[in-house]
Amino acid sequence: MRRLLLSIRDGRGFDIGLVSVPLIFLFAMAGLPLIYNIVMSFQEVDMFSLGTFARPFVGFKNYITLFSQPETWPILGNTAIFVVASIAGQFTIGFALALFFWTGFPGSSWLRGLFLVSWVMPGLVVGAIWNWILSGDFGVLNFLLKESGLVAANIFWRSDPNFSLWAVVIANIWLGISFNMILLSVGLSAIPQDLYEAAELDGANVVQRFYTITLPMMRSSIGALVALGLIFTLQQFDLFAAITAGGPNNSSNVAQYWAWDLSFRQYDFAQGATISVIMIVFVMFASVVYVRSTRHEVRG
Amino acid sequence: MGIRKLAFVGALAVASMSAFYASARAEDVKITVWSLDRDIQPAPNLIKDFNNLKTGITVEYRQIQFDDVVSEAMRAYSTGQAPDIIAVDNPEHALFSSRGAFLDLTDMIAQSSTVKPANYYPGPLKSVMWKDRYFGIPKATNTIALYYNKDMFKAKGLDPDKPPKTWAELLDTARKLTDPAKNVYGITFSAKANEEGTFQFLPWAQMGGGGYDKINTPGAVKALQTWKTIIDEKLASRDTLTRSQWDSTGTFNSGNAAMAISGPWELDRMVKEAKFDWGVALLPLPEADAKRSSAMGDFNWAIFANSKHPKEAFKVLEYFVSQDNRMFKDFGQLPARSDLAIPPTGQPLKDAALKVFQEQLKFAQPRGPHPAWPKISKAIQDAIQAALSGQMSAQEALDQADKKIKAVLG
Repeated sequence: MRRLLLSIRDGRGFDIGLVSVPLIFLFAMAGLPLIYNIVMSFQEVDMFSLGTFARPFVGFKNYITLFSQPETWPILGNTAIFVVASIAGQFTIGFALALFFWTGFPGSSWLRGLFLVSWVMPGLVVGAIWNWILSGDFGVLNFLLKESGLVAANIFWRSDPNFSLWAVVIANIWLGISFNMILLSVGLSAIPQDLYEAAELDGANVVQRFYTITLPMMRSSIGALVALGLIFTLQQFDLFAAITAGGPNNSSNVAQYWAWDLSFRQYDFAQGATISVIMIVFVMFASVVYVRSTRHEVRG
Repeated sequence: MGIRKLAFVGALAVASMSAFYASARAEDVKITVWSLDRDIQPAPNLIKDFNNLKTGITVEYRQIQFDDVVSEAMRAYSTGQAPDIIAVDNPEHALFSSRGAFLDLTDMIAQSSTVKPANYYPGPLKSVMWKDRYFGIPKATNTIALYYNKDMFKAKGLDPDKPPKTWAELLDTARKLTDPAKNVYGITFSAKANEEGTFQFLPWAQMGGGGYDKINTPGAVKALQTWKTIIDEKLASRDTLTRSQWDSTGTFNSGNAAMAISGPWELDRMVKEAKFDWGVALLPLPEADAKRSSAMGDFNWAIFANSKHPKEAFKVLEYFVSQDNRMFKDFGQLPARSDLAIPPTGQPLKDAALKVFQEQLKFAQPRGPHPAWPKISKAIQDAIQAALSGQMSAQEALDQADKKIKAVLG
């Protein structure tokens, strides 16, 4: 008994206690809803059976129905394009800006902070503003493109199926640049300056220094950032709601918006849950990448 | 000592007062009402007036957001915490009545001296029905018609007193009115991928002899083809596919579109913003002698089946109905009743418009009623968008929609 008490105060018991607090929290706040969601995807659910757990199980019927719909593959494809294009854009521009501010010109840190304004804005506000910018007849973007002679006629960013997904991608890139830049700036400042000095003495030029020092040293930051970017873009909902509502004809629809639309517009909660489960698989994958890359970082 | 005595007296007073209130409350039946009406709209004001009558029924009001009405209602119903009365959008009504969530009011209505089915427009009335029984009472109604800019008609040599009557005339007129150099489109409407798109398209399909259960009939295909022509010939902005009715009509008000299809909810803003002479006409028909049809919007009242005081709840609804003559004057909403004359507002453009909307209302048809309406609606929206964005022909798109809808209808 005394040993048990002692172990709780200082020993294994104490460790277990410390670990269990966040574990219980995680299980209650994230684990249970997740399991509930997975269970729902195997059940027949409608709005009137939402309040109970005792619902008929239907096996893989929801999955089969989902994949027999003609829009499923295009929407999953859109999701992939959205995620890849958003992350690529956010990362490239974010990295370029981070390197730019890293040169440390006067006022650079101050300006870098200002960039965060785009990140703290609510998605719906950003969406509404981009909605105006991308508007077909009177949008600012079309005005600029036309005045500069890049295009001859107005592009209907929101309503042309060839552009609608890209309209949201553009807005999402803008939204994510600053976050990428800040995280990469942190990574950059953690690289010891003497590495560069040594390389410079050895005669390495700017490009060589970037590829042999900056990139390898940033590996864990980049891994974490891409994984976080994947999670954030898969969560991006507000911009779709504000700019295209998934239209026209699902050409800009993505899994996360579709799941919401099925659940809360068409009241097909089982199908909504089914899409969420498919997304969970992808997010799990991203989480593993994220955890692995940050673990690397801790070991240094 | 003095303070203590005072405190004691005070406590006694408070106790007796609260006892008094408690006993007063115990006699009152409490009815809860949920709707999306804001403070300047009917529900909260009618409830205030009703409570002032001291009928022994106290009504409590809760405002819910448009997007939350259905989800809040079902959550509350399935956990046994539903309100007594709720206002629900008319295409959602059948979903609840078909599952027994709403109380069958047929017998109460039969005995009521205030609520008489004969007083209502057929469209709104049909939306509260399920299997020939009444599961609610129409709260208000609206429909769509054709707004047109009379000044632009004159400028292009068109007769401002002869708005287009058929689809062919509409296309012709729109072609004449479209003026890209001045940033003017011939017409504006909404084909958005939500309920608004269905709301705007379904009347066209119905005028062409189709309907949600026969969406690919030749007339409906012709309707969609007409829409497609409008978009393809740039008689309307391509953003019609993503713009709401409110935003679309905004371009009409600012003089960037010569005609607009929308409802009476635009009137107040148009009177204020439109700096030109305008008029309203009935929706154009496929042929001059075709059957008219129109969309029907707005909410219905219903009593939840698990209400503990259905009789009292119905009394509250009877009071709401008895105040229908105030709907337009005080709140700018159209009562769903054909027996009430709406007094003139003194604003000539608005009064003329109202007459047209009331005429159009006679042909208004509900969406459904069907418990799986959102799925049917989604199929129609997808078809509209597929055709207008040029991914499919009107026939293909509606054939696909028909297949999806038939699967829902079973």
